[in-house]
Amino acid sequence: MRRMAIAVGVAAILLVGGIVPLGAQQPKLTLPGIPNPGVASYAPEIGKYGGTYVISQISDPRTFNPIVAQDTASTAVTGALFEALVDQDYLTGEIVPGLAESWTVSQDGRTWTFTLREGIKWSDGQPLTTEDVAFSAQAIFTDGVDNSAVDLLTFQDQPLRWRVLDKRRIQFITPRAICPVGIFLRLIGAIDVVPKHKLADALAKGGAEFNRTWGINVNPKELVGTGPFILQSYVPGQRLTLLRNPNYWSVDKRGQRLPYLTRYILLIVPNLEQSRLKFLAGETDFYSARPREFAELKAQERQGSFAVYDGPETFGSEFLVLNQNPAGVGSGGLTPAQLSWFQDVRFRRALNHAIDRNTIVQQVYAGRATPSWSPISVGNKLYVNTNVPQYPYNLDRAQQLLAEAGYRKGADGLLRDAQGNVVEFTLQTNAGNTDREAIGNILRQDFVKLGMRVTFAPEAFPSLVSKLTGSYRWQAIIIGLTGGIEPSSGRNVYLSSGDLHMWRPNQEKPVNEWEAEVDRLFEQAACETDQAKRKTLYARWQQIYSEQAPMMWFSNPKTQPAVRNTIGNIKLGLQGVTGTLETRYYKTVYK
Amino acid sequence: MLRHIVQRLLNLIPLLFGVTLISFIIIQLSPGDFLSEMRLNPVVSSETVEAMRRNFGLDQPLHIQYLKWLRAIFLRGDLGYSFAYHVPVTWLIGSRLLNTLILNLAALVIAWLVAIPIGIHAATRQYSFSDNTLSMTAYLGISTPTFFSGLLLLLFAFKTRLLPIGGMTSLDYEFFPWYGKVLDVARHLVIPATVLAFTASAGLMRQMRGNLLEVLRQDYVRTARAKGLAERPVIYKHAVRNAINPLITIFGFEIGGLLSGSAILENVVGWPGLGRLILEALVQKDLYVVMGSLLIGSITLVLGNLVADILLAFADPRIRYD
Repeated sequence: MRRMAIAVGVAAILLVGGIVPLGAQQPKLTLPGIPNPGVASYAPEIGKYGGTYVISQISDPRTFNPIVAQDTASTAVTGALFEALVDQDYLTGEIVPGLAESWTVSQDGRTWTFTLREGIKWSDGQPLTTEDVAFSAQAIFTDGVDNSAVDLLTFQDQPLRWRVLDKRRIQFITPRAICPVGIFLRLIGAIDVVPKHKLADALAKGGAEFNRTWGINVNPKELVGTGPFILQSYVPGQRLTLLRNPNYWSVDKRGQRLPYLTRYILLIVPNLEQSRLKFLAGETDFYSARPREFAELKAQERQGSFAVYDGPETFGSEFLVLNQNPAGVGSGGLTPAQLSWFQDVRFRRALNHAIDRNTIVQQVYAGRATPSWSPISVGNKLYVNTNVPQYPYNLDRAQQLLAEAGYRKGADGLLRDAQGNVVEFTLQTNAGNTDREAIGNILRQDFVKLGMRVTFAPEAFPSLVSKLTGSYRWQAIIIGLTGGIEPSSGRNVYLSSGDLHMWRPNQEKPVNEWEAEVDRLFEQAACETDQAKRKTLYARWQQIYSEQAPMMWFSNPKTQPAVRNTIGNIKLGLQGVTGTLETRYYKTVYK
Repeated sequence: MLRHIVQRLLNLIPLLFGVTLISFIIIQLSPGDFLSEMRLNPVVSSETVEAMRRNFGLDQPLHIQYLKWLRAIFLRGDLGYSFAYHVPVTWLIGSRLLNTLILNLAALVIAWLVAIPIGIHAATRQYSFSDNTLSMTAYLGISTPTFFSGLLLLLFAFKTRLLPIGGMTSLDYEFFPWYGKVLDVARHLVIPATVLAFTASAGLMRQMRGNLLEVLRQDYVRTARAKGLAERPVIYKHAVRNAINPLITIFGFEIGGLLSGSAILENVVGWPGLGRLILEALVQKDLYVVMGSLLIGSITLVLGNLVADILLAFADPRIRYD
């Protein structure tokens, strides 16, 4: 600590004394034993040490093993305990150094060499080495270990390979002729580094044993990480208490070691309602408000001494999808007539014109959403294409498009196709999701105005999923997907061979020319290291999807984070994230 | 008596066998499984989902899955593994069991302490103003769902800041001395225990009133009064003791509900008990957590009834099991 103080003192003298010209490179910040620590230069303020930051979440964590953790309740905890070689800048979405201070890539783009920061220690004092990194990768590829990263890191059935060069350098080699180079760093960012000295025994006993290791019944002392916090205690159904990791490897702009907070507590509450009450009562410091709560919270800001922010759009969106899969024809599924309507792009475009996005935005999201025309959210500034064809709400235009495609509205007011079949179908969504149910009712009303006979029948989530991915016996579904920043994380949805290519999954060869083009665009983008070129490729894909309308997006809901005024370093980033945990601080520390 | 108890306990075995078999089939027959949500995750391939299904043993025929589960219980007392939490079901249930017991026992004690005197009071002053008021209140208690009264009281706690808003302990609970810990839990208990006790005591009080009124009309009560016995001994020594018999049966039922009676309320007020765990497991189809809690619930129900029957034998000399 003393050495650090001296280092800072010297830096101040240099600046004040004018020896270093103004605007010249800042003096290098160091930590004892860590010559090149991470510097939180993005944080707007220099914080104070101490204080407890309390938030609430709806579910209990399911595991503390970051390799196995998949649900957000678990990753909310493991995210504070573990880290990867690279990190994502929460403001821009760009990849920045994490545990690795730098990396190089070979000419052919297949061999990546990462160098660890010197002097990083696990929270139990052991040094972090590349052996730990290799071990973490090995855990992901071990048979029987439940994790989703394995699919990201396997390229056409060929796994990623790696080689430890020395204690600080490790190489990752991607398989020949496959090029995930464009997104490779993001994939590396998906591997949380875990300590080999703690987990090697469990992994040696196989995947099933590893899945159980570091479960929620673990002694918190066993959880050794490199993140800004360490777990002190977990009381099931009640709370998680995390303490500052005194070994953390990052500093603020003055060279003070992060994090600032002494304690970080996650309360487990049964529902959003209680989460809101606890925030309003001052028991918690943060609340991720729902769109319709924004106005009400805004009015209470002063009285409750908090601020609610007008956040950007999330990456997720709800959409309508029509079944175009011949395998879905049969009882409970499609009729041959329905299949031919849904496969007809003119029919889909007409329906798209009958979706009243403004009403959805107003009624479902209380105005806190932006109409969406593309698979990429408006909030994803890195990739969104805002110049795609749009389908403004216009029932006359929809009627006209249907007429051009041979559909006629009879004297009884019912729409019939050229063969005389009445246009009727069942629209479904998962029961209990009030947003989707409200959207379904809005859609049904407008579709009925076009002369269609539409039944809206919400159904339990598991059975809906088994229809979507198993029996294919469904007609029209409203559902949502959470998006990642890189479109390629949705390969399974957008490639014609994908399992989640909902309207016609697992195609051996692309059925439509436009689907073939999308497949090609995704492959090209995967090989493209230039961000700008990737953006162009994905822009073309969004254009195609909007033209062909296999999925009809409604809107991207906005975020409205509410934070207590006593909390510092609040700066909104992508998806309404309010800052990083390590730079968060208490403005007034009560003793 | 002992023979009867042993016999009843032996009867438990085929009963539990039937209960678990039927619930196992019903759970498995409903569409979808624990992995449904994962199937809709764009980054997870169907091969990975299938591999997990194999890990969980969900790919095997139903009867094999069921028999394996039974075998583990008989051999090791192992209730199986939670798919969601990667921990043994016994640990998961054990981590919540005590909390639910604390809540329900507190409610049980309050309910009986309140309901019996009020019931007696109401019966002895039939159709008086206080009887009518109490009856009205009881109807309100019976007809108000616990989630609603729970929400109302939470709102009250929020407005007045007199009580904590849900949960079971405060942030600094670990640092409190033992009496501080007791007080802290008691403070958090006020809302959920009141809600449960209100509903339970409403029914109990009506029962007590009805029973006592019936007994008071009996000949022996009239005789006791006729021979000049004071009103207090007539009621407390003779009438109440006879009127309380049917309540013992109810008591047995309530013991059976000690672990399951508060499920909905726990979800409203955030009490970290079994109810929240089980509801979540049901929604996610975390098979063995659901089965395990069903098993434990059935056992307590049967045992509760057994306890009631034994108590009845002690209270009523006319009842003999031999």
